[in-house]
Amino acid sequence: MRLVGALLIGLTVLPGYLAASSLVEVPYLSNDVQAGKLPAIADRVPAQVDVVNLKATGKVPGQYGGKLHLLMGKQKDTKMMMVYGYARLIVYNHDLDFVPDLLESFDVKEEREFTLRLRKGHKWSDGHPFTAEDFRYYWEDMANDKSVSKKGLPSALLVEGEGPTFEVLDETTVRYTWNKPNPNFVTWVARPRPLLLYRPAHYLKQFHAKYSDEAKLNAMAAKENKQNWGQLHGDRDRWYRMDNPDRPTLQPWYNSVKPPSERFVFKRNPYYHRVDKNGLQLPYVDEVIINLGATNMVPARTGSGEADLQARYLRFDHFTFLKESEARYDFSVRLWKKARGSQIALFPNLNAKEEIWRDLFRDIRFRRALSVAINRAEINQVIYYGLAKESQDTVLQKSPLYKDEYRTAWAEFDLKKANALLDEMGLTARDDDDIRLLPNGQPIVITVETAGESTEQTDVLELVRDGWRAVGIKLLSKPSQREVFRQRIYSGDTIMSVWSGVSNGIPTALMSPDEFTPSSKLQFQWPRWGHHVQSSGKYGEVPQLEAARHLIELNKAWDAETDRAAKARIWHRILKLHADNVFVIGLVNEAMQPIVISNELRNIPAEGVYNWHPGAYFGIYRPATFWFAGKGEKKQ
Amino acid sequence: MVNYLVRRLFIMVPTLLAISLIVFLIIELPPGDYLESYISELQAQGETVDQKHIEFLREQYGFDKPVMTRYWEWITGMMVGDFGFSFEYRLPVSDVVGDRLLLTILVSMVTIIFTWIIAFPIGLYSATHQYSWGDYGLTFIGLLGLATPNFLLALIMLYFANVVFGTSIGGLMDPDYIDQPWSWGKVMSVLEHLWIPVVVIGTAGTAGMIRRLRANMLDELQKQYVTTARAKGLPPLRLLLKYPLRNAINFFIADIGSLLPSVISGAELVAVVLSLPTTGPVLIAALQSQDMYLAGSFLMFLASLTVVGVLISDILLAWIDPRIRLAGGAAK
Repeated sequence: MRLVGALLIGLTVLPGYLAASSLVEVPYLSNDVQAGKLPAIADRVPAQVDVVNLKATGKVPGQYGGKLHLLMGKQKDTKMMMVYGYARLIVYNHDLDFVPDLLESFDVKEEREFTLRLRKGHKWSDGHPFTAEDFRYYWEDMANDKSVSKKGLPSALLVEGEGPTFEVLDETTVRYTWNKPNPNFVTWVARPRPLLLYRPAHYLKQFHAKYSDEAKLNAMAAKENKQNWGQLHGDRDRWYRMDNPDRPTLQPWYNSVKPPSERFVFKRNPYYHRVDKNGLQLPYVDEVIINLGATNMVPARTGSGEADLQARYLRFDHFTFLKESEARYDFSVRLWKKARGSQIALFPNLNAKEEIWRDLFRDIRFRRALSVAINRAEINQVIYYGLAKESQDTVLQKSPLYKDEYRTAWAEFDLKKANALLDEMGLTARDDDDIRLLPNGQPIVITVETAGESTEQTDVLELVRDGWRAVGIKLLSKPSQREVFRQRIYSGDTIMSVWSGVSNGIPTALMSPDEFTPSSKLQFQWPRWGHHVQSSGKYGEVPQLEAARHLIELNKAWDAETDRAAKARIWHRILKLHADNVFVIGLVNEAMQPIVISNELRNIPAEGVYNWHPGAYFGIYRPATFWFAGKGEKKQ
Repeated sequence: MVNYLVRRLFIMVPTLLAISLIVFLIIELPPGDYLESYISELQAQGETVDQKHIEFLREQYGFDKPVMTRYWEWITGMMVGDFGFSFEYRLPVSDVVGDRLLLTILVSMVTIIFTWIIAFPIGLYSATHQYSWGDYGLTFIGLLGLATPNFLLALIMLYFANVVFGTSIGGLMDPDYIDQPWSWGKVMSVLEHLWIPVVVIGTAGTAGMIRRLRANMLDELQKQYVTTARAKGLPPLRLLLKYPLRNAINFFIADIGSLLPSVISGAELVAVVLSLPTTGPVLIAALQSQDMYLAGSFLMFLASLTVVGVLISDILLAWIDPRIRLAGGAAK
């Protein structure tokens, strides 16, 4: 069933052969081909040509040409092309199942042994073959070379501190084997910022001391203000920012401009590995042009027709303005959904420094009382025009793991229940302002710290304040600086903070549930417990709440389990426990993200999910398949 | 004079050293560092933060070294023209700033010339026609320019330029011309965009200059030598330009000291609003993200220019106006 689903829906590749004669040369490249600078199309695509099944995702075959304009803020936003391009060894399809993309196929045995098979004749954007050598280079000469990776293997390659064994089986097959299951390996490879297991060895060798003269490299590094050749190597690699025009890539577009610049032109990768059924090589669009500028001007510039596809730096409150300009500049504004567990969530700090607050927050009744004293419907209506959904911080309806009860657990507005819970805790004494008193006689005034960057958060807090006031709890909000924000939470000076909920609200059973369990220092409800788990007991504190310990165990059980159904069962136990305990007070989710799309642009869905992981923003919708119905030239 | 020059040059060294120390410490002062803001940025997007990678960067960028060591490395590097490394751009600071200097100087120069062309005639007219309708009218407009917040004016003009003339919003040229070789079309595009920042930044400066020129001129016009010259039959315009104007212009030369740095920094706030490819937005972004060597070197650069500018204006003053003595001793 799963296999059939994966084949029918989603951007799946049908292993269809296409005769070389039916391939259509790209006009953009034809001059170079005629001049002999570039081989003909049949020699550029992999030997066994894969035909993209556009129909399966409701798309139509298109035509070559056009320039896609994007607006970005900072120099380092060139990384978005790595994200949008979304060519990975393995990718998510629309159903969030894993399918091979750069790979021809892959095998997973017991979630321990991963065999990856490359396409024969697949080439880098400079025409050099993409082979197992590129994997070997990363493994031997980068990940395991102390001069390049001082800190050793990336965490994603470690299972309880142990790395895999790596084998090259033949020129197009490699294998990674761990002693214990590494269930997150495939997820890591498919991430928007992936675990990149391969590098263009033929290009990078010239900067590696093993293959070039070390003294010369160090001199070169010193000239560029770098400490040693290792840094020089890292600088030339920079695969994520994609800003080195000389470094070949496998993405649909490569950068052609040397930074710093205010404008980056990404040109089509002549060797991209996919074609459509008419024999046209992807991507359809010839160039992607990124214009930089102040981020707060992006909405205005988008509204004056300077972008063909824009979501970054646009917020929901820009929607009406953008809508107004729709008619003047041939574009449409769509509302996509965001996939965070909660657009805005409150984090009671279970590691607060002051004992009195710590004990209060660790009392499940108090957390529940705070949660039911919030009028989520009002927040939704006032701030989000009723377009969002009232919810706890949990998975969204789109996730196969969704259950109504997770969303609604302790999320209904019920002052009576809140009062009853608080009274039951014995917090019955009140001061002159009708604020409840703590056992030590101190009034319950909760200072919620914000990162101080969004008015949305403070607006929402205003509404939360009303509900809490009605049950005798006073809320103060305090903006802080983002650098201090996290530190104060970790040290326990902050008793409650506001931030967004889990970043992946649409997980499947195969994605790690670690966002719902103590696993990282950056979890604001239990930073020290998270750090404890993250550092394998080196830092932080041992979790003292039974429920939190239980969550950690469940996460471990999920790691060890290899059966999908069993993984799903564990997921449900985690979600239930998390919802029931109200460790995080979620408010609303499925908030809207405005997307501006040129009316000439095709194959981009009207409704979609705008999310980092899984999703890679536009990446999951495969921008390589977008095409311009007109000429794709700006009419200015 | 030579003595004076040598002394002034000598004093510049400790001044700049003190400035560098203050700049560095102030940038260091807020808690956290560039990596902290980098982590928040990753987190806001939902990216996983690999602590190993952060530790690696911390070491690579030298954050693990004590403050004083880093200060020493930075300051000694600057002596040999190495301004440090920008974390945000991952490029040497000189590459980041160098690229934008040309356009910054262009905008600033044009603005300064615009200010002079407007302010001088108006200042002279206002002084010679004191309390006339013209004086009141022009002064009113000048003060209006001074009182309107620059960024607001910038936004309004952007909007109208876009709606009425179809000029692309922000920047100094149409995006298509960026990184292209200079051509007629590019020059025209720059001119089409240039007037907005010039007018916006210029208006504020113009009003100030008009008022000061007017005040100084009024002082001079009362003096006896003017009456004498007039009695001797000197033509009015020649009289005005040759005597009182020359005396009234001292403030203008003294301004050169602050002029030099402003040419380079180019009105940061307006530049941010208009998203000009000048150095101002870079400086502000660097301060926000605690990209400390970029911000520090930039501020040092501005400080040096101020110090040099003040020196130049002092020398010019002494040279142009013989009444100014170099030191107290000469008066005896």
